[in-house]
Amino acid sequence: MSIDIDKCNGCGACMVACAVENNIPPAPEAANDRKGITWIRVYKVDNHRAYPERRTAFVPVLCQQCGHDTPCAHVCPQQAVDVDPATGIVGQMPERCLGCRYCMVACPYHARYFNWWDPKWPAGMEKTLNPDVAPRMRGVVEKCNFCHGRWHAAQQKAAAAGKREIDAADYVPACVEACPTGALRFGDLNDASTEVAHDAQRPESFRLLEKLGTEPKIHYRSQRDWVREIASAPRPEGKDGLRG
Amino acid sequence: MGFVDKEFIARGLRRSSTGRFLLWILPWVALLVFGLYSAGLCLVKGLNQTNMDNRFAFGHWIFLDLAVIALGAGAFFTGFLLYILKIDELRAVINSAVVIGLVCYSGAMAVLAVDVGQPLRAWFTFWYPNVHSMLTEVTFCISCYLTVLLIEYLPIVLRNRKLRDVPSFLVFEHELHKLVYVLAGVGTFLSFFHQGSLGGLYGVLRGRPFAFREGLAVWPSTFFLFILSAAAVGPSFILLTTWMVEKLSRKRLVRPAVFGRLARVSGLLLAVYVLAKAVDTLVWINRTSPETGFQAWQYYSWKPFGTWILFAEIVLFGLLPALVMLTPRLRAHTGWLVTAAAMACCGVALNRFVMTVQTLALPTLSFDPYLSYFPSWQEIGTFLAVVAYGVLVYSFSFRYFNLFPEERELRLEAAAQEEEPALAGRY
Amino acid sequence: MTTTRRNLFKFVGGGAAGALLTPAPWRLITDAALWSENWPGIPRPARGEIRARFTHCTLCPAGCAVRARCVNGQPVSLAGVKPHPIGHGALCPWGIAGHHLPYHPARVRQGPVKEAVAAVARAIAQRGAGERVAVLDLRPGRTVSWTYRRAMAAIENGLYLTPGQPAYSIDLAAAKTVVSFGAPLLDGWGTPGNVFAARDHFRLIQIEPVETRTAALADMWLPIRPGTESVLAAALAGETTIAEAARVTGVEEEAVGAVQEAAQSGSAVVLAADPGSPLMSLNAKFGALGRTVVARRESPLPDAWKKAAPVAEMAAAPDGAIRVLLIDESLPGGYVPWSTIEPKLAANAIVVVFSSTSEGYARHAQYVLPAPVYPEAAEDIGPAIDTVAEVFRIAAPLVAPVVPVVKPGEFVAQMAGLPQGDPLRERADAIHKTGRGALLSYADGKSTPAKEVTADDFWKTLNQSGCWMDETGKKAAPSGLGRSVTRLTSHDELPLAVVVAEFNRGGLASPLMSKLERESNLRMAANRVVLSPADARANGIESGGRCLLETACGRMNVVATIDAGVPSGVVEVAGGPRMADLCGASRRARVVRA
Repeated sequence: MSIDIDKCNGCGACMVACAVENNIPPAPEAANDRKGITWIRVYKVDNHRAYPERRTAFVPVLCQQCGHDTPCAHVCPQQAVDVDPATGIVGQMPERCLGCRYCMVACPYHARYFNWWDPKWPAGMEKTLNPDVAPRMRGVVEKCNFCHGRWHAAQQKAAAAGKREIDAADYVPACVEACPTGALRFGDLNDASTEVAHDAQRPESFRLLEKLGTEPKIHYRSQRDWVREIASAPRPEGKDGLRG
Repeated sequence: MGFVDKEFIARGLRRSSTGRFLLWILPWVALLVFGLYSAGLCLVKGLNQTNMDNRFAFGHWIFLDLAVIALGAGAFFTGFLLYILKIDELRAVINSAVVIGLVCYSGAMAVLAVDVGQPLRAWFTFWYPNVHSMLTEVTFCISCYLTVLLIEYLPIVLRNRKLRDVPSFLVFEHELHKLVYVLAGVGTFLSFFHQGSLGGLYGVLRGRPFAFREGLAVWPSTFFLFILSAAAVGPSFILLTTWMVEKLSRKRLVRPAVFGRLARVSGLLLAVYVLAKAVDTLVWINRTSPETGFQAWQYYSWKPFGTWILFAEIVLFGLLPALVMLTPRLRAHTGWLVTAAAMACCGVALNRFVMTVQTLALPTLSFDPYLSYFPSWQEIGTFLAVVAYGVLVYSFSFRYFNLFPEERELRLEAAAQEEEPALAGRY
Repeated sequence: MTTTRRNLFKFVGGGAAGALLTPAPWRLITDAALWSENWPGIPRPARGEIRARFTHCTLCPAGCAVRARCVNGQPVSLAGVKPHPIGHGALCPWGIAGHHLPYHPARVRQGPVKEAVAAVARAIAQRGAGERVAVLDLRPGRTVSWTYRRAMAAIENGLYLTPGQPAYSIDLAAAKTVVSFGAPLLDGWGTPGNVFAARDHFRLIQIEPVETRTAALADMWLPIRPGTESVLAAALAGETTIAEAARVTGVEEEAVGAVQEAAQSGSAVVLAADPGSPLMSLNAKFGALGRTVVARRESPLPDAWKKAAPVAEMAAAPDGAIRVLLIDESLPGGYVPWSTIEPKLAANAIVVVFSSTSEGYARHAQYVLPAPVYPEAAEDIGPAIDTVAEVFRIAAPLVAPVVPVVKPGEFVAQMAGLPQGDPLRERADAIHKTGRGALLSYADGKSTPAKEVTADDFWKTLNQSGCWMDETGKKAAPSGLGRSVTRLTSHDELPLAVVVAEFNRGGLASPLMSKLERESNLRMAANRVVLSPADARANGIESGGRCLLETACGRMNVVATIDAGVPSGVVEVAGGPRMADLCGASRRARVVRA
C-alpha cells in the first residue's frame, strides 16, 4: 500500500469504513484511545514547534504487513498468525488466539488490538453487520488483514471466470475505497506497472522504523522534510500525549 | 479439635495451638477470598477490569509472574546443588525450597490463567505449538516443571506423621525417593530452559529495541542472563524466607552454616551475573540498539526512568549484595546477610520490571507518547490472592510436614544446653 | 471367572488407548474450541442475497451519490459511486456509516403527534391579528422547502424562514487561487469528491487563527489574530495599507502581499467560514463574479409552485410576532442560535420541532416529533455550495422507518390544507417536461438525454440509481452574496476568543464515530476544548481536566486538552448546536476549572 501524507486530511473516513467492513463494534462507555479497536488509525503528528511555527500532518497507521522476521508471527505461541506467501498478507486467526497478547508487545507499530470487552452493538444495529466477516468475542487479538474477505471474493470471481489472476479492480480494501482524497493506494508491489510500485520507488517515499528490519509493506511519502523524519526513532523530549 | 490436630504434627516438633494457628491463617484466608473475587471479576467480566490496554498489553501480572518465577528458582537450584553437586548442608532447606517453588509456580500459572483472554484455549499451545516462539517453550517447560514440583512435593506430604500410617503411602513415598536424582536432573534441565526462555521472551523482540539483544544462535543474551540471575537469587530467596519463618515461628530451623553456604553460592553467581550483565549492557548501548536506529540514551530521558534505574539494577541491587555475601565478615552478621539477600531479590525483581514495564512504556514510533500505567485494584487483588495462597500453603506445610529436617536436632540441642548447670563455664 | 481389579484396570486402560484411535476425543476437543469461539451474545451477521442499491446521502447539502451493499435488502455498507461527475465516488466519515442512523440509541423514538396537531390547529385558529405561523427550514433548497413555502403562502400571515441561504455557487474547477477566510474547504465544505478532484488545480491560501485540517494541507496558512479578518480583507481590497493590516492582524507583510498578488492574478475566489459573511464581497473586487462565484441554479419547478411565500431570514421577522413555529430539523443543516429565535416568539407561542436528535432545538421546543433519518425517507437534496450545474437528486429510502415517524413536509402540507400529492414526482415531471439535461444512471455509468426517456422511466431511474443534470446553462454573476444573520457582539471582558476548529454538523452520527473521537484523538468530541499552555497555566487547568466553558450566554462542562500549537488567547472548540447556542452572538469565553 502507498500513502501520500501530503494528501491525507485526517478526516477518518478510512477508520469508519474499516469498522463497517470488519464488524468492529463501537466503543463501550469506558473505552478510550488506549483500549479501543481501530485496525487503521490516523495519528496527528506535528513538527514539535509551538504556534505559529506549528505544522501538522496526518499519518494513517495500520498493520504494516511486515515481510521479514515478522515480529508477531514469530512470537505467537499458538501459530494464530500466518504469513501468506502468495500475497505477503499477515493473517490473524482470532479463533485460535489465546489472548496472551505477546504479539501486541512484539509489534513496534502498535497495529494490534485486543478485545477488552465483548462486542456490543446498539439494538437493531447488528442488522448492519457484514456477513463476510465473523465478529470476534472478547479475549482475542485482532488486526488489519487488508480486507482478506475481499481478496477471497476477488479470487472466487476470477475462478468462476476461469482466470488464474484476480482483477486488481476487484480487490480494494475498505479504507482505500473510502478515502476521499486519494491518499491511500493499494496494489501489487511486485508488479512494476502498478501505481503503488511506482510510489514505493519515489525519492520522498519512506517506511516506518525501517532500521528494525521488518520490511513493512506500507510506503509513505511526503514532500515535507519534517514529515519524513517521523519514520525514524522517537525524539527524546517529553511530550504530553495526543491531542483531542 | 486440638486433639485431632496434634496427631498430624511431626513428633519432636513444637507448633502453636490450633487456636493460634487459626488466628494466623484467618487474615490470609480473608485476603485469599478477596483475591479470588478480584480474579473472578476478571474471568467473568473480562480483562477490561484491569488497567492494561493496547499499549500496556503486559502489566502487573506478567511482571510479578516473572519475578515470582525467578524467586522460585531456588527450588530447582537447591535441588541441583544438593543432589547433583552433593552440597549436603542444603538438605536442611530443600523441603522448604520445594514448597516455595511449588507455591511460586502454581501461583504464577493461576495468574496466567486469568491473564489470558481465553483461558479455555490454554491447551492450544500444546496442540498447535510454534517452534519459533519463546512463549511456547515457556508454556511447555513451566507445565512440565510444575508437574515435577508436584511430584517432589508428594514425599514431603506423605511423610506426614498420620499419612505414614497408611502402608501404601509409605511404600509409594519410598519408591518416589529413589527417583529424587532423576527429578532433580529433570527439574534443572527444565528450569534452565524456561528461566532462559522467559528472558528470551524479551530478548527476541526486534520491534522493541529497548529489550532486544543479540546472542548465541536463536538465544538472545537475556536468555542466559535470566538463568544466571534466577540461579543467583534462588538461594537468596531461600535464605530470606527461612530467616522470616525462623523469626515468625521463633524457632531455630537451620544451622548458621546453611545460611553461609546459601549466601556464598548466591553471592558468587550474583557477581558473575553482574559482570555478564555489565558486558551485555555495554554491547547493547554501543552496538545492538544503535543498529536499530534507537540511541540508548533516549530510553533514559523519559521520566521517571532515568539512568538511575540502570545503576540501581546492576550496582545497588546487584554488585553491592554480591560483595556483601562474598565477604565472610559481613556474611557472618545476620543483619548484613539478610539485607543483602533481600537486596538481591529486589535487584532481580527490578530487572524483571525493567524488561516488562519499562519496555512497554517507552515509545517506538516517533509520534507515540510516553505512557504510564498503574494496576487496577482487581489486578492487585488477584496478585494478593497468590500471596495469600502461598502463605497458607506454606503455613500448612510448615505445621504438618517436616520442612526443616534440622529443626528437631536443633531443638534438642537447645533443650540440652538449657539443662546444663549454669556453672558450665563462664570464661 | 471373577472380575479382578487388574481386569478392570486393563479394560479401562485398553479402552482409553482405543478411544484415542477413534475420532471421538479429537472431535470433542475441536467442538470445545468451537464452543469457546461462539459464545451466546455475540451476534451473527445475517446471510442472504447481496445486491447493490443506489441513493444519495442526505446528511449534508453535498448529496453525494451512494452505492449501498445490501444483504436481503438491508444496507450493510455504503460507498461512493466512483465515476460520478460531481461526487467522484467520495464519501465522508459520516456518510460512510450513515446506514447506522436508524438504529442510533439516542434517536428520538416517539412524540406527542396527536397533541401537536391539535395544539397547532388551535393556535392557528385562535391567533391574534398580525401573529405569524412560521416554518424554519434548516436545509432550504429542497423540494420540501417549496412545500413549506407553498404552505406558508396558503396560510394567512405565513412566514417561511431559513438560516440564510447564499444565492451563489462556487465553481472550484475554474479557480486557480482560493483565498479562504476560515472556510473548512478540505474538511466539511461543499462536496468532498469535488473539492479533492479540483485540489491539484488551485493554490489554497487559508487564513484562520488556528491550524485546522484545511490549514495543515493548504499551500499557505496565515495565522491571523481572531476577529481581525475584516482588516485583512480591507488590505486585500486596497482600502488600507498592508503595513496597517500586518500590525492589526499579526500576519507578516510579505504574506499579505503574496495573498494580494495571488488574488489579483485572475481566476481567484474568496471563501468565508460563514457563506453570508461580508468578506464575500471581496469577490467582486477580484473579478470573481460570474467566473468562480456564479448564480446558484435550482432545477426546474412546476409552474403552480411559483406562487409561494418568499424566503425570509429570522432577523427580518418582527419581535414577538410568531405564534406557531415549526422547525424542520430532520436533516442536519444550518443552525440559528436560540437566542436569536426566542425574541421573535409570541408570549404563548407553540414550538414544534421535527427531529431525530434531542440535542438541537428539541431542548427548547414543546413538541418534539420523531422525524425520519437517513436512509429512511424519500428526500431530494438541493444544490451544495459548490454545485454549478442544475441537478435534481432524489435520496431514495433504503430501509423502512424503524420507529413511527412524522414526515415534516406532510405535516405542514396537511396543516395548511395543501392538496395531497407527491411533490417529488410533480417536480420530476416538470423537469422532464423541459426536455433539458441528461439522466445519469449509476448502475452502468451511462448518461442519456432526458428527452429520450419517458416520464415514467425518468422517475424510475431517479429513484433507483441516478440523477438529473444540466450543465449547459451559462454561468451568470450572482444577484447577491447573502448577508449574515447574526451580528457579532463583543464581550472583551472574557479573555479567550472562541474558534471552531472541529467541524460538527449536529444531528445524529453513527456510534462508530467513537473510532474518531474516543478510540483515537483524531477528531474533537463535542465536549472537548483545546487551550494553549500559557492559558491553561493561568487558569490552573491540567490536560484532560474537567472545566467549565463560560460565555455571555451560558456555560458548558468540557474536558480540556493542552496544545502548544494553539495561540494564547484562543480556545478551540468543536462546533454543533450546543456550541452555537452557547456562543450566541458572541465569540468570547472563559475557561475555568470545574
